[in-house]
Amino acid sequence: MTRIIALALIAASPVYAADFSEGSSAKSWNLYAEAPALFEAKVVDITCEVTGDCPDNCGDGDRQLGLLRAADDVLVFPNKNAQSGFQGATVDLLPFCGKQVDVDGLLIEDEDIQGATNIYLVQKVREVGSEDWVKANTWSKAWAAKYPEAKGKGPWFRRDPRVNAHLAETGHFGLGLEKDAELIKELFE
Amino acid sequence: MKLTPIFAASMLALGLAAPASASEGERIQITGEIIDTWCYFSGVMGGPDAVVGSAHHTCALWCSAGGIPVGLLGEDGEVYMVLKIEGDDQNASGDTNLNLASHEITADGMLYKRDGLNYLVVEKVVTDHGITNLNHEDYGVVPGFAIPEPKK
Repeated sequence: MTRIIALALIAASPVYAADFSEGSSAKSWNLYAEAPALFEAKVVDITCEVTGDCPDNCGDGDRQLGLLRAADDVLVFPNKNAQSGFQGATVDLLPFCGKQVDVDGLLIEDEDIQGATNIYLVQKVREVGSEDWVKANTWSKAWAAKYPEAKGKGPWFRRDPRVNAHLAETGHFGLGLEKDAELIKELFE
Repeated sequence: MKLTPIFAASMLALGLAAPASASEGERIQITGEIIDTWCYFSGVMGGPDAVVGSAHHTCALWCSAGGIPVGLLGEDGEVYMVLKIEGDDQNASGDTNLNLASHEITADGMLYKRDGLNYLVVEKVVTDHGITNLNHEDYGVVPGFAIPEPKK
Protein backbone atom coordinates (compact mmCIF):
# COMPACT_ATOMS: atom_id res chain seq x y z
CA MET A 1 0.00 0.00 0.00
CA THR A 2 2.85 2.37 0.86
CA ARG A 3 4.34 1.80 -2.60
CA ILE A 4 1.00 2.52 -4.28
CA ILE A 5 0.61 5.75 -2.34
CA ALA A 6 4.20 6.72 -3.20
CA LEU A 7 3.57 6.05 -6.89
CA ALA A 8 0.35 8.07 -6.77
CA LEU A 9 2.18 10.98 -5.17
CA ILE A 10 4.91 10.77 -7.80
CA ALA A 11 2.34 10.71 -10.60
CA ALA A 12 0.54 13.70 -9.13
CA SER A 13 3.72 15.73 -8.81
CA PRO A 14 3.97 18.40 -11.53
CA VAL A 15 7.74 18.18 -11.79
CA TYR A 16 9.30 14.80 -11.10
CA ALA A 17 13.04 14.34 -11.09
CA ALA A 18 13.80 10.88 -9.78
CA ASP A 19 16.71 10.74 -7.35
CA PHE A 20 18.26 7.34 -6.83
CA SER A 21 21.62 8.56 -5.58
CA GLU A 22 21.25 7.32 -2.00
CA GLY A 23 23.77 4.59 -1.28
CA SER A 24 25.28 4.73 -4.77
CA SER A 25 29.03 4.35 -5.12
CA ALA A 26 29.02 4.92 -8.88
CA LYS A 27 32.12 6.51 -10.34
CA SER A 28 31.64 9.77 -12.20
CA TRP A 29 32.35 9.96 -15.93
CA ASN A 30 32.13 13.74 -15.77
CA LEU A 31 29.15 13.74 -18.09
CA TYR A 32 27.05 16.89 -18.16
CA ALA A 33 23.78 15.25 -17.16
CA GLU A 34 24.90 12.23 -15.15
CA ALA A 35 23.61 11.36 -11.69
CA PRO A 36 24.66 8.39 -9.57
CA ALA A 37 21.82 5.91 -9.31
CA LEU A 38 21.43 2.75 -7.27
CA PHE A 39 18.12 0.96 -7.64
CA GLU A 40 16.35 -2.38 -7.72
CA ALA A 41 15.00 -3.57 -11.04
CA LYS A 42 13.99 -6.59 -13.08
CA VAL A 43 16.20 -7.37 -16.09
CA VAL A 44 13.96 -7.58 -19.16
CA ASP A 45 14.19 -7.90 -22.93
CA ILE A 46 13.20 -4.41 -24.08
CA THR A 47 11.64 -5.60 -27.35
CA CYS A 48 9.54 -8.08 -25.40
CA GLU A 49 8.57 -5.50 -22.80
CA VAL A 50 7.53 -2.93 -25.37
CA THR A 51 6.02 -5.02 -28.19
CA GLY A 52 5.12 -8.37 -26.59
CA ASP A 53 7.48 -10.38 -28.86
CA CYS A 54 9.26 -12.54 -26.31
CA PRO A 55 11.83 -15.21 -27.23
CA ASP A 56 13.55 -17.38 -24.63
CA ASN A 57 16.28 -16.02 -22.38
CA CYS A 58 15.71 -12.36 -23.26
CA GLY A 59 16.89 -12.97 -26.84
CA ASP A 60 20.04 -14.81 -25.76
CA GLY A 61 22.32 -11.80 -26.15
CA ASP A 62 20.97 -10.54 -29.47
CA ARG A 63 18.62 -8.00 -27.93
CA GLN A 64 19.00 -4.90 -25.80
CA LEU A 65 18.09 -5.51 -22.17
CA GLY A 66 16.28 -3.08 -19.93
CA LEU A 67 15.82 -2.45 -16.25
CA LEU A 68 12.25 -2.35 -15.03
CA ARG A 69 12.72 -0.22 -11.93
CA ALA A 70 10.97 -1.59 -8.85
CA ALA A 71 10.26 1.77 -7.24
CA ASP A 72 8.17 3.24 -10.03
CA ASP A 73 7.84 0.61 -12.81
CA VAL A 74 9.85 2.82 -15.20
CA LEU A 75 11.69 1.04 -18.01
CA VAL A 76 15.29 2.27 -17.82
CA PHE A 77 17.49 1.75 -20.90
CA PRO A 78 21.09 0.73 -20.08
CA ASN A 79 22.97 2.07 -23.10
CA LYS A 80 26.44 1.45 -21.73
CA ASN A 81 28.43 -0.88 -19.54
CA ALA A 82 31.26 0.13 -17.18
CA GLN A 83 34.14 -0.21 -19.62
CA SER A 84 35.68 2.81 -21.25
CA GLY A 85 35.17 2.53 -24.98
CA PHE A 86 32.21 1.53 -27.05
CA GLN A 87 30.46 -1.37 -25.36
CA GLY A 88 26.79 -1.80 -24.54
CA ALA A 89 25.36 -3.53 -21.48
CA THR A 90 23.64 -6.63 -22.89
CA VAL A 91 26.52 -9.04 -22.28
CA ASP A 92 26.78 -7.96 -18.64
CA LEU A 93 23.05 -8.10 -17.94
CA LEU A 94 22.14 -11.31 -19.80
CA PRO A 95 23.07 -13.64 -16.89
CA PHE A 96 20.41 -11.81 -14.88
CA CYS A 97 17.59 -12.13 -17.45
CA GLY A 98 14.23 -12.18 -15.65
CA LYS A 99 15.81 -11.68 -12.24
CA GLN A 100 15.42 -8.94 -9.69
CA VAL A 101 18.73 -7.15 -9.34
CA ASP A 102 20.34 -4.16 -7.74
CA VAL A 103 22.27 -2.00 -10.16
CA ASP A 104 24.62 0.89 -9.54
CA GLY A 105 25.71 3.34 -12.18
CA LEU A 106 24.95 6.68 -13.80
CA LEU A 107 21.54 7.87 -14.88
CA ILE A 108 21.36 10.35 -17.77
CA GLU A 109 18.57 12.91 -17.68
CA ASP A 110 19.33 15.79 -20.02
CA GLU A 111 16.52 18.25 -20.67
CA ASP A 112 18.60 19.93 -23.38
CA ILE A 113 18.69 16.80 -25.57
CA GLN A 114 15.36 15.57 -26.88
CA GLY A 115 14.67 12.09 -25.54
CA ALA A 116 17.64 11.87 -23.19
CA THR A 117 15.71 10.38 -20.31
CA ASN A 118 15.95 7.10 -18.41
CA ILE A 119 19.29 6.34 -20.08
CA TYR A 120 21.73 4.44 -17.90
CA LEU A 121 25.38 3.44 -17.66
CA VAL A 122 25.53 0.30 -15.53
CA GLN A 123 28.71 -0.13 -13.50
CA LYS A 124 27.84 -3.10 -11.30
CA VAL A 125 24.99 -5.53 -10.77
CA ARG A 126 23.97 -8.15 -8.24
CA GLU A 127 20.96 -10.37 -7.73
CA VAL A 128 18.70 -9.03 -5.00
CA GLY A 129 19.70 -10.64 -1.72
CA SER A 130 23.29 -11.25 -2.80
CA GLU A 131 26.15 -9.43 -1.14
CA ASP A 132 28.43 -9.82 -4.13
CA TRP A 133 28.49 -7.19 -6.83
CA VAL A 134 29.52 -8.16 -10.35
CA LYS A 135 31.32 -5.46 -12.34
CA ALA A 136 29.69 -4.72 -15.70
CA ASN A 137 32.92 -5.05 -17.61
CA THR A 138 32.72 -8.42 -19.34
CA TRP A 139 32.06 -7.32 -22.92
CA SER A 140 35.66 -7.30 -24.13
CA LYS A 141 36.32 -10.79 -22.82
CA ALA A 142 33.22 -12.08 -24.63
CA TRP A 143 34.35 -10.31 -27.82
CA ALA A 144 37.82 -11.87 -27.59
CA ALA A 145 36.28 -15.32 -27.24
CA LYS A 146 34.07 -14.68 -30.28
CA TYR A 147 36.89 -13.39 -32.48
CA PRO A 148 40.05 -15.34 -31.57
CA GLU A 149 41.47 -14.59 -35.02
CA ALA A 150 41.45 -10.88 -34.16
CA LYS A 151 43.85 -11.29 -31.25
CA GLY A 152 46.50 -8.60 -31.16
CA LYS A 153 47.69 -5.34 -29.68
CA GLY A 154 45.48 -2.34 -29.12
CA PRO A 155 41.80 -1.93 -28.30
CA TRP A 156 39.21 -4.33 -29.71
CA PHE A 157 37.57 -1.72 -31.89
CA ARG A 158 40.73 -1.34 -33.98
CA ARG A 159 40.74 -5.10 -34.57
CA ASP A 160 37.04 -5.87 -34.98
CA PRO A 161 36.61 -7.82 -38.25
CA ARG A 162 33.16 -6.44 -39.06
CA VAL A 163 34.15 -2.83 -38.42
CA ASN A 164 37.36 -3.20 -40.39
CA ALA A 165 35.46 -4.71 -43.32
CA HIS A 166 33.28 -1.58 -43.42
CA LEU A 167 36.27 0.74 -43.16
CA ALA A 168 38.04 -1.15 -45.95
CA GLU A 169 34.99 -0.79 -48.18
CA THR A 170 33.79 2.77 -47.58
CA GLY A 171 36.44 4.44 -45.40
CA HIS A 172 36.41 6.21 -42.04
CA PHE A 173 33.87 8.81 -43.15
CA GLY A 174 31.75 6.24 -44.98
CA LEU A 175 31.97 8.23 -48.21
CA GLY A 176 34.12 5.90 -50.29
CA LEU A 177 37.84 5.20 -50.32
CA GLU A 178 38.79 7.95 -52.77
CA LYS A 179 37.03 10.65 -50.73
CA ASP A 180 38.40 9.13 -47.54
CA ALA A 181 42.00 9.38 -48.74
CA GLU A 182 41.44 12.99 -49.73
CA LEU A 183 39.94 13.92 -46.34
CA ILE A 184 42.59 12.07 -44.36
CA LYS A 185 45.30 13.87 -46.31
CA GLU A 186 43.69 17.22 -45.44
CA LEU A 187 43.26 16.17 -41.81
CA PHE A 188 46.89 15.35 -41.21
CA GLU A 189 48.57 17.98 -43.38
CA MET B 1 6.33 -26.66 -25.37
CA LYS B 2 3.88 -26.64 -28.28
CA LEU B 3 1.23 -23.95 -28.16
CA THR B 4 -2.23 -25.02 -29.26
CA PRO B 5 -4.59 -22.20 -30.24
CA ILE B 6 -6.75 -22.83 -27.17
CA PHE B 7 -3.76 -22.90 -24.82
CA ALA B 8 -2.24 -19.83 -26.46
CA ALA B 9 -5.56 -18.01 -26.09
CA SER B 10 -5.70 -19.04 -22.44
CA MET B 11 -2.18 -17.76 -21.86
CA LEU B 12 -3.06 -14.47 -23.51
CA ALA B 13 -6.15 -14.20 -21.38
CA LEU B 14 -4.05 -14.74 -18.29
CA GLY B 15 -1.48 -12.24 -19.50
CA LEU B 16 1.27 -14.83 -19.51
CA ALA B 17 2.42 -14.65 -23.12
CA ALA B 18 3.61 -11.07 -23.01
CA PRO B 19 4.26 -8.39 -20.43
CA ALA B 20 1.14 -6.60 -19.30
CA SER B 21 2.81 -3.35 -20.25
CA ALA B 22 3.32 -4.27 -23.93
CA SER B 23 1.14 -2.06 -26.06
CA GLU B 24 -0.10 -1.76 -29.59
CA GLY B 25 2.05 0.42 -31.76
CA GLU B 26 1.15 3.24 -34.06
CA ARG B 27 2.07 3.00 -37.73
CA ILE B 28 4.41 5.72 -38.89
CA GLN B 29 6.72 6.56 -41.77
CA ILE B 30 9.76 8.53 -40.76
CA THR B 31 13.02 9.72 -42.24
CA GLY B 32 16.16 10.10 -40.21
CA GLU B 33 19.71 8.99 -39.50
CA ILE B 34 20.77 5.77 -37.81
CA ILE B 35 22.88 6.98 -34.87
CA ASP B 36 24.65 5.56 -31.85
CA THR B 37 22.54 6.64 -28.93
CA TRP B 38 25.10 6.62 -26.13
CA CYS B 39 27.30 9.28 -27.69
CA TYR B 40 24.20 11.27 -28.61
CA PHE B 41 22.46 11.17 -25.24
CA SER B 42 25.49 11.31 -22.95
CA GLY B 43 27.45 14.09 -24.63
CA VAL B 44 30.59 12.08 -23.94
CA MET B 45 32.19 13.20 -27.21
CA GLY B 46 30.60 16.57 -27.74
CA GLY B 47 27.29 18.13 -28.63
CA PRO B 48 24.52 16.39 -30.58
CA ASP B 49 25.48 17.94 -33.92
CA ALA B 50 29.02 16.52 -33.69
CA VAL B 51 28.20 12.90 -32.85
CA VAL B 52 26.24 12.12 -35.99
CA GLY B 53 26.95 12.06 -39.72
CA SER B 54 30.17 11.51 -41.61
CA ALA B 55 32.30 13.06 -38.84
CA HIS B 56 31.21 10.36 -36.42
CA HIS B 57 30.88 7.44 -38.83
CA THR B 58 33.81 5.38 -37.55
CA CYS B 59 32.64 5.80 -33.96
CA ALA B 60 29.09 4.88 -35.00
CA LEU B 61 30.49 1.62 -36.41
CA TRP B 62 32.43 0.94 -33.21
CA CYS B 63 29.41 1.60 -31.02
CA SER B 64 27.04 -0.48 -33.14
CA ALA B 65 29.49 -3.40 -33.20
CA GLY B 66 30.00 -2.97 -29.47
CA GLY B 67 26.32 -3.38 -28.76
CA ILE B 68 25.46 0.24 -28.00
CA PRO B 69 21.80 0.66 -28.96
CA VAL B 70 21.14 2.39 -32.25
CA GLY B 71 18.41 4.91 -32.80
CA LEU B 72 16.86 6.73 -35.69
CA LEU B 73 17.30 10.49 -35.28
CA GLY B 74 14.21 11.80 -37.00
CA GLU B 75 13.86 15.04 -38.89
CA ASP B 76 11.63 16.09 -36.00
CA GLY B 77 14.62 15.91 -33.64
CA GLU B 78 13.23 12.92 -31.78
CA VAL B 79 15.29 9.76 -31.27
CA TYR B 80 13.55 6.48 -32.02
CA MET B 81 15.26 3.50 -30.38
CA VAL B 82 15.39 0.79 -33.05
CA LEU B 83 14.07 -2.60 -31.92
CA LYS B 84 13.92 -4.42 -35.26
CA ILE B 85 14.71 -3.75 -38.89
CA GLU B 86 12.84 -5.78 -41.51
CA GLY B 87 12.38 -8.71 -39.15
CA ASP B 88 15.93 -8.67 -37.78
CA ASP B 89 15.59 -8.42 -34.00
CA GLN B 90 19.33 -8.42 -33.30
CA ASN B 91 19.36 -4.91 -31.89
CA ALA B 92 22.49 -5.51 -29.81
CA SER B 93 25.45 -5.59 -32.21
CA GLY B 94 23.50 -7.04 -35.14
CA ASP B 95 24.67 -6.84 -38.76
CA THR B 96 21.66 -4.92 -40.09
CA ASN B 97 22.20 -2.11 -37.60
CA LEU B 98 25.91 -2.06 -38.35
CA ASN B 99 25.37 -1.90 -42.11
CA LEU B 100 23.15 1.17 -41.72
CA ALA B 101 25.40 3.14 -39.35
CA SER B 102 25.17 6.87 -40.16
CA HIS B 103 22.81 6.24 -43.08
CA GLU B 104 19.73 8.34 -43.59
CA ILE B 105 16.79 6.06 -44.14
CA THR B 106 13.08 6.39 -44.69
CA ALA B 107 11.44 3.77 -42.53
CA ASP B 108 7.92 2.44 -42.38
CA GLY B 109 6.97 0.69 -39.19
CA MET B 110 5.42 0.72 -35.77
CA LEU B 111 6.06 3.30 -33.08
CA TYR B 112 5.80 2.53 -29.39
CA LYS B 113 6.26 4.99 -26.53
CA ARG B 114 7.35 4.10 -23.02
CA ASP B 115 8.60 6.24 -20.15
CA GLY B 116 9.78 9.13 -22.26
CA LEU B 117 11.50 7.05 -24.95
CA ASN B 118 10.32 6.25 -28.48
CA TYR B 119 10.75 2.70 -29.76
CA LEU B 120 10.59 1.76 -33.43
CA VAL B 121 10.02 -1.54 -35.19
CA VAL B 122 11.07 -0.87 -38.77
CA GLU B 123 8.99 -3.13 -40.96
CA LYS B 124 10.44 -1.80 -44.18
CA VAL B 125 13.35 0.42 -45.11
CA VAL B 126 11.56 2.30 -47.85
CA THR B 127 14.70 4.12 -48.98
CA ASP B 128 18.31 3.95 -47.88
CA HIS B 129 19.69 7.37 -48.77
CA GLY B 130 23.23 6.51 -47.61
CA ILE B 131 25.29 8.98 -45.59
CA THR B 132 23.86 12.42 -46.27
CA ASN B 133 24.96 14.42 -43.23
CA LEU B 134 28.39 15.63 -44.33
CA ASN B 135 29.23 17.26 -41.03
CA HIS B 136 32.94 16.40 -41.35
CA GLU B 137 33.06 19.75 -43.15
CA ASP B 138 32.34 21.38 -39.77
CA TYR B 139 33.70 18.91 -37.24
CA GLY B 140 36.45 16.93 -38.99
CA VAL B 141 36.46 13.56 -37.29
CA VAL B 142 34.80 12.88 -33.92
CA PRO B 143 36.49 11.62 -31.82
CA GLY B 144 39.84 12.76 -33.13
CA PHE B 145 41.47 9.41 -32.50
CA ALA B 146 38.97 7.62 -34.75
CA ILE B 147 41.46 7.93 -37.60
CA PRO B 148 45.01 6.97 -36.72
CA GLU B 149 47.68 9.26 -38.10
CA PRO B 150 49.01 7.68 -41.30
CA LYS B 151 52.46 6.13 -40.97
CA LYS B 152 55.11 8.00 -42.95
